[in-house]
Amino acid sequence: MLTLERVTKRFGGLTAVRNVSLDVRRGDLLGIIGPNGAGKTTLFNVIAGYYRPDGGRVVFDGRDVGGRPPHVICRLGLTRTFQLVKPFGNLSVVDNVMIGALTRLRRVSAARLEAERVVETCGLAPHANARARALPIGLRKRLEVARALATRPRLLLLDEVMAGLTPSELTGIIELIRLLHADGLTLIVIEHVMAAMMRLAQRIVVLHHGEAIAEGTPAEVARDRRVIDAYLGDEFVLAQA
Amino acid sequence: MASLPPRRWAALALLGVAALLPLVVRDAFVLDSLILILMWGALSAAWNVAGGYAGQVSLGHAAFFGIGAYSAALMTARFYQSPWLGLLLGVVLSIAAGGVIGYLSNRLRGPYFALSTIAFSQVLLIVASRWRGFTAGSEGIPVPFRPGLWTLGLGHVAWVYVALVVALVYYGVQVWLETSRIGYQLAGVREDEDAAEALGIASRRLKIRAVTLSAAMTAVGGTFWAQYVGFVDPFYVFSIDLSIRFALNTIIGGMGTALGPFLGSILITSLETYLRATFSGLKTGFAGIYLVIYGTALILVVRFAPEGLTGVAGRLGAWRARADA
Amino acid sequence: MDPARRLGRAQIDVFAQLGVSTVLLGGIYALIAVGLTLIFGIMRVVNFAHGEFLMLGMYTAFWAYSLWSLDPYFVLFVSIPLFFGLGFLTYVLVMRGVIHASHNVQIFTTVGLSIALQNVALVVWTGDFRTLRPWHSSVVIRVFGTAFNLSQVVAFVIAVALTLALFAFMKWTHTGRVMRATAQDHDAATLMGIDTDRVYRLTFAIGIACVGAAGVLVSPLYAVYPTAGLQFVLLAYVVVVLGGLGDMVGAMLGSLIVAAVEVLGSYVFGVAWKEVFYFVLFIAVLVFRPAGLFGQRGAETLGV
Repeated sequence: MLTLERVTKRFGGLTAVRNVSLDVRRGDLLGIIGPNGAGKTTLFNVIAGYYRPDGGRVVFDGRDVGGRPPHVICRLGLTRTFQLVKPFGNLSVVDNVMIGALTRLRRVSAARLEAERVVETCGLAPHANARARALPIGLRKRLEVARALATRPRLLLLDEVMAGLTPSELTGIIELIRLLHADGLTLIVIEHVMAAMMRLAQRIVVLHHGEAIAEGTPAEVARDRRVIDAYLGDEFVLAQA
Repeated sequence: MASLPPRRWAALALLGVAALLPLVVRDAFVLDSLILILMWGALSAAWNVAGGYAGQVSLGHAAFFGIGAYSAALMTARFYQSPWLGLLLGVVLSIAAGGVIGYLSNRLRGPYFALSTIAFSQVLLIVASRWRGFTAGSEGIPVPFRPGLWTLGLGHVAWVYVALVVALVYYGVQVWLETSRIGYQLAGVREDEDAAEALGIASRRLKIRAVTLSAAMTAVGGTFWAQYVGFVDPFYVFSIDLSIRFALNTIIGGMGTALGPFLGSILITSLETYLRATFSGLKTGFAGIYLVIYGTALILVVRFAPEGLTGVAGRLGAWRARADA
Repeated sequence: MDPARRLGRAQIDVFAQLGVSTVLLGGIYALIAVGLTLIFGIMRVVNFAHGEFLMLGMYTAFWAYSLWSLDPYFVLFVSIPLFFGLGFLTYVLVMRGVIHASHNVQIFTTVGLSIALQNVALVVWTGDFRTLRPWHSSVVIRVFGTAFNLSQVVAFVIAVALTLALFAFMKWTHTGRVMRATAQDHDAATLMGIDTDRVYRLTFAIGIACVGAAGVLVSPLYAVYPTAGLQFVLLAYVVVVLGGLGDMVGAMLGSLIVAAVEVLGSYVFGVAWKEVFYFVLFIAVLVFRPAGLFGQRGAETLGV
């Protein structure tokens, strides 16, 4: 579905992403991990159209989408969420999600029904008419996912959707992602919360200083020497054993 | 019908009163006030489309107003054509001007954008006031009065209904923006442009469209105003004061609501007309006191009651509903 | 002298006159702009009411002269602390509440202030054009073929002195450093224990003191009326955008550029069209280099 061929992004003298290649097939749940500053969000920004790649290609469904504006890419079926959530603060939860639904549906009434359905799926029903601004961070993250979901993406990019959540909120979100994946949605997930990633992802790509230093199943990646040195640390491996 | 929210009923009621008034009252002064209230309300509603609904706060809308006013004046006074043609010309020119401002809105945010709109309207002011050959320069253009609908030479009662139709249409445009697909998408752009883009909304194009619509609506208002008042003075029609006035009415009435601009206009235009009439004999500056009031009101409203009169009314209604329960 | 040489001499005279005009004008614009750019740079607020404080400065000088025959340069000494206090008061009553509010709220707060002040002046002093003509406004200095008004020169000298004093204050004193730190990163400053409210108070007060002083200085040169501030402040915006909002040196250089555009524009096309030039320049800068010729890139799209 999505192929990155040696994607590179530079900012002045700094190369944030260097020659990253990866493949995502329909139905995959790919995880991207790496220390802060590894270039994960930059990679997302390139995929989603916020940045034009300085090198390489981004191919979605056989189409080269490098440098296309974000709204075009969304309409093609690829939606992303933001690490620092961006709710439409003064609008209600349902209205937020409805704006997502209106990308695919022309009629406001149909979009509202769809929005209510998505709100239900994402467990936001009790807060449906609350102002987005008034929600705590855990619910805002859910709203971010719900809104993206309403655009009926074929590929969903989740950017650190678990950061800042309490353990119970974490379980909830993991369940939601599992559910969406089981329903057939293809996902790429950037995360820091290692334990969750290890259980969720089928495959993981590890970024470090903008380069993909390892790729494979969670077990393979956890054993990879380079990954342990760069990121996980020996304690993690021992704890997993 | 019962599902209409209270503010729509209020709007219909006000429009009804305006429609019936000329049948009951024939006093020219009262009718004149009514016409001005409706026109300023409509012009503020036009501003609201860009400022309240699209979130592009412009302090240079007088540019579009002036374009509409001059188009009418030049068409009738210089080319002896119907002002309706002037209206058409004004719309075309203002769409072009609106495109420029829309482009700027995509490059600049917040105060930078506001500053650029001021500069734009000032450039038009200077050009209009210096171009003796074409626009009669700083003397302005008197708009000839020729009776008839085609020439928009009408009596007070007829003007009330013309203004009413414009007000109704502009109110309708706003309601449409609140309930339509485009309106919701615009709300998203207004709240967070990046998030809207990520959801598949072409925010830059949408902003330009909103600003252009607002520009055309303002120009049309300017044309009617010029025909009604009968004189186009460049220092007035392109003035910053006028631009601010459109924003002022809307903010005090309730920015981003359909009724807000009209409520604001009722309050402000009435008070202004009353004070002007009462103090016209005394020291010439004293009527300016109403502007001091409005300046202060603007500061207070924007800080303490940012949703304006409609917001206050809404909160009172909710408070009363809870008290009754 | 043969004709060819005389023509050359005349051209040099013209250039000299234009050049000195530019510098004199630029100095005054700098004083006005520096206050505006400080307020924006540190508080991130565009003060739409800046021109009204200039106008109040002009009226202060006018009334002091009319009622008590006080020379404007004397009034200057009193007006600096006076306007400092006025700025302080305005901050506490009006600005403090909206420092952390959205752009729109800030824009309309200062716009409202502008309307209120303009019309207070209108109501209290009427819209009549006032002029004040102290002895030095009719003294002409002739040097190297150029001719200038003594008032212009003194205004320039004092304006430059004040601007440089402010610049030195910002660069070399502890308080100045604290203020610049707050400008760079408000949150970090708070974490460092800087009382940002105090910084904002000081900033606004200084900014108003500058523009009030500028008003007093230009009072012998221009007519005084309630909307007198408008022409200057629009110009100050152009200067500040050109130099980069928040950049003091940029404001000083920008003043020279704007003054040059005005002087040259007037000379070539006539006084009537001069304003068009700096507005067009303004829009051009906003479109092509919105951060100014010297300012930080991208500031204008971040919405700062």
